[in-house]
Amino acid sequence: MDLLTRVLFTLLGLFIILNWGLLMTAIMRKLTARVGKRVGIRWYQPWINLVKLYSNRNSISHGVMFQLGPVFRLLGGVGLVMFMPLIYGSELFTNFSFAGDLVIILYIKFFGMLGMALGAGEGGHPYSAIGVSRGLSQVTTVELPFTLAVIALAVQYNTLSITEIVAAQQGGILNWTLFTNPVATAAALLSMLGIFMHSPFDLHKAPNEIPIGPPTEYHSSYLGILRTNAAILHVIEAVLFMNLFFGGATSWPMLIVKTFLIYFISVFVGVVFPRFRIEQSVRWFLQVPLILGIVAIILIL
Amino acid sequence: MVEPVYIVASGLGIAFLLGLINKAGKNPAGGVMLLALAFMTLVSLQWMSSVVFAGNSPHYTFTAGFQPPFSISLMMGEKEAFFTTLVNLIGLLGGIYLWERFHKQGVNTMIVYLLLFVGLNVVVMTRDLFNLFVFLEISSVAITGLVLLQREHKAITAGFKYLVATGIISGILLIGIIFIYQYGGSLYIDDIIAANLTAVKGGMVAIFLVLIAIALELKPFPANGWALDLYQGAHPGVAALVSGAFASAMVFVLYKLLPIAGGQWQTMFATLGALTFVGSNLLGIKQNQSQRLLGYSSVGQIGLLVMVVGLAQFLGDRLTLIAYGLLISHYLAKAGLFWLAGVLDQDQIRNWAQLRKKPHLLALFGTFIFALVGFPPFPSFFAKWELIMQLSAGSGYVWVGLILLGSLLEAVYLFRWLGYALKLDHQQLPAINIQWHKIIPIVLAGVGLFVLGYLATPIASGTAGINFIPLAFIILIYFLDVLPARVKNIVVIAAMAYYGYLIMPGLEDVRFIFSVIFIIGGILTLLAGFAYKGRRKGFYPAALLMYAGLGQLLTAETMLQFFFAWELMTIGSYILIIRGKNSIRHGYSYMLFSVGGAYLMLAGFGVAYAGSGMADLAAIANITQLAGWAAVLIAIGFMTKTATLGLHIWLPGAHAEAESDVSPMVSAILLKAGVFGLVLLFIHMGGEAASGHPLFYVLGWLGAITALVANLSAVFQEDAKRLLAYSSIGQLGYILFAFAIMTHVGWLAGFTYTLNHFMYKAILFLIVGGIVLRLRTHYMYEMGGLIKRMPYSFIAVLIGIVALAGMPPLSGFAGKWLFYNAGIEKGWYFQGGVIFFSGIIAFLYLYRLIHSIFLGQLKDRHRRVKEISPWFLIPAYTLIMGIMVFSAKPGWILQPIGQAITQYFPSSPLRWQADGTAIGELGYWNGSQVMVIVMGVFILITLWLILLNRKAKKVEQFNIVYAGERPERPETTHISYNIYAGYNKAIGFLATPWISGLWQWIADGFRDLAVQIRRIYNGNGQTYALHLLTYVVVVYLITIGG
Repeated sequence: MDLLTRVLFTLLGLFIILNWGLLMTAIMRKLTARVGKRVGIRWYQPWINLVKLYSNRNSISHGVMFQLGPVFRLLGGVGLVMFMPLIYGSELFTNFSFAGDLVIILYIKFFGMLGMALGAGEGGHPYSAIGVSRGLSQVTTVELPFTLAVIALAVQYNTLSITEIVAAQQGGILNWTLFTNPVATAAALLSMLGIFMHSPFDLHKAPNEIPIGPPTEYHSSYLGILRTNAAILHVIEAVLFMNLFFGGATSWPMLIVKTFLIYFISVFVGVVFPRFRIEQSVRWFLQVPLILGIVAIILIL
Repeated sequence: MVEPVYIVASGLGIAFLLGLINKAGKNPAGGVMLLALAFMTLVSLQWMSSVVFAGNSPHYTFTAGFQPPFSISLMMGEKEAFFTTLVNLIGLLGGIYLWERFHKQGVNTMIVYLLLFVGLNVVVMTRDLFNLFVFLEISSVAITGLVLLQREHKAITAGFKYLVATGIISGILLIGIIFIYQYGGSLYIDDIIAANLTAVKGGMVAIFLVLIAIALELKPFPANGWALDLYQGAHPGVAALVSGAFASAMVFVLYKLLPIAGGQWQTMFATLGALTFVGSNLLGIKQNQSQRLLGYSSVGQIGLLVMVVGLAQFLGDRLTLIAYGLLISHYLAKAGLFWLAGVLDQDQIRNWAQLRKKPHLLALFGTFIFALVGFPPFPSFFAKWELIMQLSAGSGYVWVGLILLGSLLEAVYLFRWLGYALKLDHQQLPAINIQWHKIIPIVLAGVGLFVLGYLATPIASGTAGINFIPLAFIILIYFLDVLPARVKNIVVIAAMAYYGYLIMPGLEDVRFIFSVIFIIGGILTLLAGFAYKGRRKGFYPAALLMYAGLGQLLTAETMLQFFFAWELMTIGSYILIIRGKNSIRHGYSYMLFSVGGAYLMLAGFGVAYAGSGMADLAAIANITQLAGWAAVLIAIGFMTKTATLGLHIWLPGAHAEAESDVSPMVSAILLKAGVFGLVLLFIHMGGEAASGHPLFYVLGWLGAITALVANLSAVFQEDAKRLLAYSSIGQLGYILFAFAIMTHVGWLAGFTYTLNHFMYKAILFLIVGGIVLRLRTHYMYEMGGLIKRMPYSFIAVLIGIVALAGMPPLSGFAGKWLFYNAGIEKGWYFQGGVIFFSGIIAFLYLYRLIHSIFLGQLKDRHRRVKEISPWFLIPAYTLIMGIMVFSAKPGWILQPIGQAITQYFPSSPLRWQADGTAIGELGYWNGSQVMVIVMGVFILITLWLILLNRKAKKVEQFNIVYAGERPERPETTHISYNIYAGYNKAIGFLATPWISGLWQWIADGFRDLAVQIRRIYNGNGQTYALHLLTYVVVVYLITIGG
């Protein structure tokens, strides 16, 4: 396959993911509102928001890094898409996953996070720095059980290639990691709550306290890029979990259903539980999730 | 040939004539006395050249023409020639030194002085026991006289105590001699030996009394309060003689008389020596009075020599080198130090900072200290090396342990002292009064140490490849210190480049990789030196010494060469580190850990030598017994340099407080010396074949925990350089972990981290160092918003932290990827988890670093601050290019490394495809493609954003969304201080510095012990007399029994 086709199909995948992400966001917000006995937004509100943000005529800049912050952030999200095989069995939607394996996915995630943190830092707002420090603090322990689960998976399937991990889960629901390695899956799913950063783990933006955390200074098209990225990121991270634990997807509808359900877990928890304080959140991941991660490792020893 | 007896005759004769000559004035009298001493020295030297170098047989002088035992006979053999030379030479130099004193005190002092040397010469040469006693008395009385003639209160009490003590000793000796004559029927030493008195009932007691008396003359711990008071109370010139001449002669007497016990009691004397060496040095650590401290050191060194004499059976033909090496270093260094004490006239060691008013004297002081502790290139270094090797070869590991413990304790106080001299404030102290007659002997002693060290080299084994040209060049640079720093910088960089040109092409594999770090890294970091103005006195010799040591590490083939280079590097880096403004404590703790680590390494080499019989580095590969111990000892030695958890507490302060261009040298480059050592060790242990060794499992965990704790500690630092220092500890933890995996991919990860850490830590330390130079603060919360003032620094730091964090596409990711593959392949899941966790914690401190310095709010006082010096930016950007190449084409570097290590780790190497994809057992990764993809996306998004925001308006600093209020000051708006408070609350307890507490506890324990034991020295002459008698009784009960 020539490079142009690959680029075009990657962009197509990206486009689908973006739009599905926006729709999914709207649905989740709607669901959350209904739980709180509110009507909620219209289903197309995210598109309206984006159009509005991108077409704002006024914008200000705090400096070069401030401007690059959203670029890095979006690079993190798009980068994940680039290196993530989306549809199993479809050569067209494996994107650029031949250039790197699961490890690159684990690390490219941080690229956006750090870049955003830097941009927010140059914004100079105290809330930004507070939000970043909280977010980073939480990430350290969030990733620990997830890493142990990933190690357990790599040993179980004897590969770090996502495509091969998905391949190993084909042939029936009982071949999914969820059933072949339930402990690792449990550890990873608990980590996932922290990765999606919904309540009770939304302390980096902590509504009502340091609204809205890192992006405080961002507006107009900067914020537009951040929103775009958020939509992509929610889906692609769900895709990661789908690929690792839920058998991957062999078609787009399957991808949409699975990512919705995966993402829904964190929304569901978020609706039920109020926000943690930093030390509670940081320690929470070192309790049950970490123990599950350790058990997952012990099981493969 | 002048008959040896003329030494005695001339001394005695002139001593009698001095009274007469004095009528012509004091100057002629003094002159004649010095001439007499010079004549005595010449005679000894002449015999030395004849007996030692020309190999003639010993010469005997029979007085009155009779054969012994009917006459007194003097012998001039190899050892006698050597010892009389030592005695007479110090007599001559000491005489010059005391010139003014003689002038003041008159001719009686001169007479007594000459008699002292007459006495000591005979004591050395005589073969007659009673004659020995008589001249020993003459010497003791002469010393008492010299002390008492000072007519100062403290000297008189000290002299009196000395008199009491020597009186008791003489009594014991005399009784012993009487009994020996009773049982043996002769006073001729050879006859006594032949008589084998140990077989005779009662003969044992006679021998005991004689030998214990000699032992007491050697001032054994703890029955030596009188001697310490003498060292403290006597004029420094006299104390130098007691320490240099008298003690040397007495060691020889012990050696001469020990055979009368027929080989028994050697162990006892070794034990007494060891007790003295360890005990005396233990008490020294609490001492603050310079002359008394020297007293402790003297007593300790003599204890070590007694040990050597007692352990002679272990040492074989190396005995001479060992004994002479130790003795000469002690003799010259101790005399030099006592003489320096006289020049300074400062009672307290804290006030020796006065030396900085005369830097050449300071250099001499440093020379003496390093010679005493046994650093290269001084004779004591080679002697100690041989001593440890031979003792190990004889399985005398307990002795090895005692010697190293005593040496470490000695280093504790000597380096405290050196630190004071180098660092404490000297503005308040008076100027040094230079009198040339006092300076000349000191200079000669210092020069002598260098020359003899050089001469000792060919005698020691395994030294053939040691290259002295760099050392000579360093001495040259020392004398060029008056030149401006920039000129010296050019010369030094040129020298480094030439040195690299000479050695680098000859290096292969692993050594070549490290040579890139040591030599090219050295040149790059030296470039930053152009940012400094003035002369930077003392910087260049130290820097060169460190780099010369590093360079010689690479070329070392034998264990001794390696250790030699290692110690040179330690000296250089110590001086570099302690140059920092607040570095006195940190330089000190660096040195103690270095010395301790070096001694463990020495012990490990000893075990390796014993187990293999080889002096080559390859010995480690051929150990037949105790191989595990050798590996563990050597590994711990190296880990003091890599600052592995438990041995790391010196690093944060040392690296943080060092000068701005020294921090990258010691952090990015010097730490790799420890890594290099470990790599060599692991290779020699057998590479892949040894990978199952339990040591590696332990090291893997140690590395992982080091990374975790150090990274966590870095998160909570407010000081930017301290943060980077903790980060280095953590990174070295990764490196240790990677090499301990002991697989092909693990080692690739190790080398990737080693190279990367060299590059990004140099970048970060250079930039942060440059900023510290500009802003005059280390504290990040005092910075902020500097991106506007220092954009180039910001970009460099940004690239540095992205590489350090291991984010793709930069080269740090290569390390992470290899880690995952190697760790999982090895089955080290938990350790790998800890390593990964540490890596994420690193984000916290990296963000803190870049945010607190460059982002947030610019402080008012920094509104006009300029970009850092280009001389810091140039090396940083050069290294950034290195990172970029490594990132874009990882195969260019990893493939050759892979080939180099295949010989040690042939199994499951990384496979490389034609398109540059690396394929491991588990995963795959193509650095170039990742780079292209990430950069492509980055450029596209950036263009898009620029398009969207082309009309964005730049706003002023405080134009932020602030809930209707306006922030007042940058200080209240910049979030930096304690930024991770919540995190600290959650898991900060993991970073509690309990290891520092543990070491503090150990140090306090030793100090308290010293304080308690010191109480036996109550200054009372009667108590001291009791000590002597008790000592005799106790030793008697232990050796001969009740």
